[in-house]
Amino acid sequence: MNEGWLALIQQALSLLFSLDPEVWSIISVSFAVSFAALAITLLPSMVLGFLLAFTRFPGRWLVTNLIQTLQSIPTVVIGLLVYLLLTRMGPLGDLKWLFTQKGMILGQMLICAPVLVAMSQAAFTSVDRRAWETSRTLGAPKLSAIWAVCRELKVPLLLAIVAAFSRILTEIGCSMMVGGNIAGVTRNIPTAIALETSKGDFAQAIALGLVLLVLALILNFALGTLRGKAEPRSH
Amino acid sequence: MTTNTAKIIAKDLEMRFEDKHLFSASKLVFEQNRVIHLQGDNGCGKTTLMKLLAGFYQPTKGKIYAEGFAIAPWWRSNSITGKALYLHQHPYLFEGSVLYNLTYPQRFLTADKAQLQARTEQAIDKAQLRHLLNQAASSLSGGEKQRLAIARAWIIQPKLLMLDEPTSNMDKHSQHLVLQMITDLKQQGTGMLISSHQTCMLTKVCDHAWLVSDKTITTDNVSTLKDTEPTQVELAPALQVSAG
Ligand SMILES: Nc1ncnc2c1ncn2[C@@H]1O[C@H](COP(=O)(O)OP(=O)(O)OP(=O)(O)O)[C@@H](O)[C@H]1O
Ligand SMILES: [Mg+2]
Repeated sequence: MNEGWLALIQQALSLLFSLDPEVWSIISVSFAVSFAALAITLLPSMVLGFLLAFTRFPGRWLVTNLIQTLQSIPTVVIGLLVYLLLTRMGPLGDLKWLFTQKGMILGQMLICAPVLVAMSQAAFTSVDRRAWETSRTLGAPKLSAIWAVCRELKVPLLLAIVAAFSRILTEIGCSMMVGGNIAGVTRNIPTAIALETSKGDFAQAIALGLVLLVLALILNFALGTLRGKAEPRSH
Repeated sequence: MTTNTAKIIAKDLEMRFEDKHLFSASKLVFEQNRVIHLQGDNGCGKTTLMKLLAGFYQPTKGKIYAEGFAIAPWWRSNSITGKALYLHQHPYLFEGSVLYNLTYPQRFLTADKAQLQARTEQAIDKAQLRHLLNQAASSLSGGEKQRLAIARAWIIQPKLLMLDEPTSNMDKHSQHLVLQMITDLKQQGTGMLISSHQTCMLTKVCDHAWLVSDKTITTDNVSTLKDTEPTQVELAPALQVSAG
């Protein structure tokens, strides 16, 4: 049994290090889709988080709670929603995005935006008002003052980005439904792991799982060092 | 009073937080070449008044405007924020070293870089911060933070400067260093508003007083009041300016 395990892990590693084209195409689909979804949603989500934290407008309470709710909707449900939107009879059927990377990106955007908005809103709400006031009174124009505040919040804001990115990189429900797990096109790490495992091809599944594991380790340790530097404040 | 003295003027001012009426004043002029001692009990609204003049709050009624400042380019707002420099009672320091904090505002200034550099060096000595320059600003003691904040203001040489309870964290030695810098600024024509509910080393620099009490702001010439007890200040002949 142990030897079987060892053999599997050896096979998995050799798949990764021999740059097996199939494995690496799956990895690149995953990253391309998730990076695109993150890149498109990042700035608008942070701006919305900023506005929700600092401005008062009618409906603000409703939006805040809606976003909290969206965060906890299972990804299959979002997958279902996007599927219905993109299906040939659906309102966006003419785009022909179903079972394409574009469709997957759309789904992942809907998954990562609420996380980004909610976490950046929490970060901005936690900021010391004096950071903004000090920057402004020292002559900073509004944009520079916003930048100064973001700089003070770099740890919680990076945390938001990492949380959002790991959520979409590892989600399977939406990718499976909207992408369809088509080899070389929409097959990403989570859908491939599910498929290979069901076929009994554990080596590839382990290889892909290792990629996610290593990435999670790197991101969390990087954040850990950052957070370690940020000391609790008192005044 | 020349026409190009920088000043911030508040007219028909009234400030409330929800239903709570803090104070009213018909006219307040905060201008260069004057050092004003802002007096009043805890919670009477000294900090709020300073934040109004700094442009952080909008008054409930009345208007606050600036005169004698350079007109901002059209793409920048011409609000009063950034005109009178406000120093918090507990200064906020950005994440980074003492030196980073000391030089932070210089990127927003148009002044000659070499001159700023020279003033920075002087300020470091005046506030005795040299041994702390590379330390994280968050690790400074309360009094050191206060010295850093005042040194930062001293470098900028603002036209108007507001100090909120500057001596509350400081021992005699720190107060002495700060007094030096404040005196310098006074000689250079910086108008100052210094709040404190009791007389201290710094209030001796003041030659005017504003008193917040009974929801009104009274302004008067304080030169006769130096070293007197706060209770006597209220009895002094006062020029009632407030609308009440
Ligand atoms: N943002 C705010 N919202 C509601 N009430 C406020 C706000 N800021 C201040 N107040 C209230 O206004 C009053 C005046 O506060 P302020 O901080 O201006 O007093 P102060 O004169 O500076 O007091 P101290 O001498 O203790 O510093 C206080 O009763 C305070 O509770
Ligand atoms: Mg106060």
